Amino acid sequence: MLQTTTSPGPAPTVHLSGELDLDCADGLRAAVFAAARGAQAVVVDFADVQFIDSSGTGIFVRLCLDLRSQSVPVTARNLPPQVRGVFDMLRVRELVGDEVFAGS
Amino acid sequence: MPQDALDRLVALDDDPVTDTASQPATLQVCRYVARTRSLRSVIGEFDIGVPDDDLRRHAVEAMRRKEFMAYTVSLPDRFDTDELCFVPQDGWCDILSIRTNGWHRHHGDHRRGLNEILSDLAGAVACAKLRILSTEELEVERPRGTALVELGLADAAALASARRAISGALAGSGLSRSARAMYVLCVSEAASNMLLHGGGGGTLALRRLDDRLRAVVADRGPGLNFVNWMQPPSDDGQASMGYGLKIILDNLDTVGLHTGESGTTLLLDHMTK
Repeated sequence: MLQTTTSPGPAPTVHLSGELDLDCADGLRAAVFAAARGAQAVVVDFADVQFIDSSGTGIFVRLCLDLRSQSVPVTARNLPPQVRGVFDMLRVRELVGDEVFAGS
Repeated sequence: MPQDALDRLVALDDDPVTDTASQPATLQVCRYVARTRSLRSVIGEFDIGVPDDDLRRHAVEAMRRKEFMAYTVSLPDRFDTDELCFVPQDGWCDILSIRTNGWHRHHGDHRRGLNEILSDLAGAVACAKLRILSTEELEVERPRGTALVELGLADAAALASARRAISGALAGSGLSRSARAMYVLCVSEAASNMLLHGGGGGTLALRRLDDRLRAVVADRGPGLNFVNWMQPPSDDGQASMGYGLKIILDNLDTVGLHTGESGTTLLLDHMTK
């Protein structure tokens, strides 16, 4: 189960809480795209993510690439060790660029 | 695929590829048994157009050299290549036919390429990390040990509770917290792949054997093929990246795979002794 809350602003932050897996695609995309509407950038905060797998990672990568094509850069913040470990295993930086992790 | 195997790539004179991109990409495996000089299909119907005598000759050569041998198979007027791999084992040689049938990722598609995925499979077999199981071997392996967890998975909403069940059963197993977390991740990856590619549901079991923990992830889907890995990502982003199998193969001690028209079964082993 994934829960999302959004802090509004020019660069809104979407706080994720729970588990990012195959089951979370709709909720994650809806929350981040809603936050991105009219925004200059979006921050995704992973601090309260307890689990992520390759499906959750794939959804996040796809979000980054889709929003970049709409000129809305995504930044990831507060990666817990489990998330960082999976992102490293799957070489997410190479897929989305170092700028997504600037300041994380 | 190991670099030394890639270095050995040579072109076959035979030209067995006659399919078009409308056909699925496939992995087929047949087994050459030295004692009987027999060839039999283990995954799919092994019919790649290469004469049996040539397959036997290359299998014998791989067993004599005790080396993984890989060949590219391509048409003169096509840029895509398929692969034929000979993986010597003790008394037999597994022959893997990897056919892309012209399927390619589109530019900008972040998911893994088919050749990467299939080469990982072939390399894992070559390194004895991945064991291709015949139906008879699966019947022996599947009931081994004592069941700790047995449950059905009907949709993605069941994944989280399945992970909790596996994690809870591992609590007294002696595995470190990080090892437990990695094992749960691998089992979750296999279950997700089952939901995506295995007909939408199946079963998950955790079993304790004398020397290992084993998760058994089984579906009754159409068997392993890669068509839905090649389709463009859907709008909801749920298309497979092709990375789940990489996580499994990179982090587990051994993996058993059986696939056919009646479904696919993965045995995910973590050695405890």
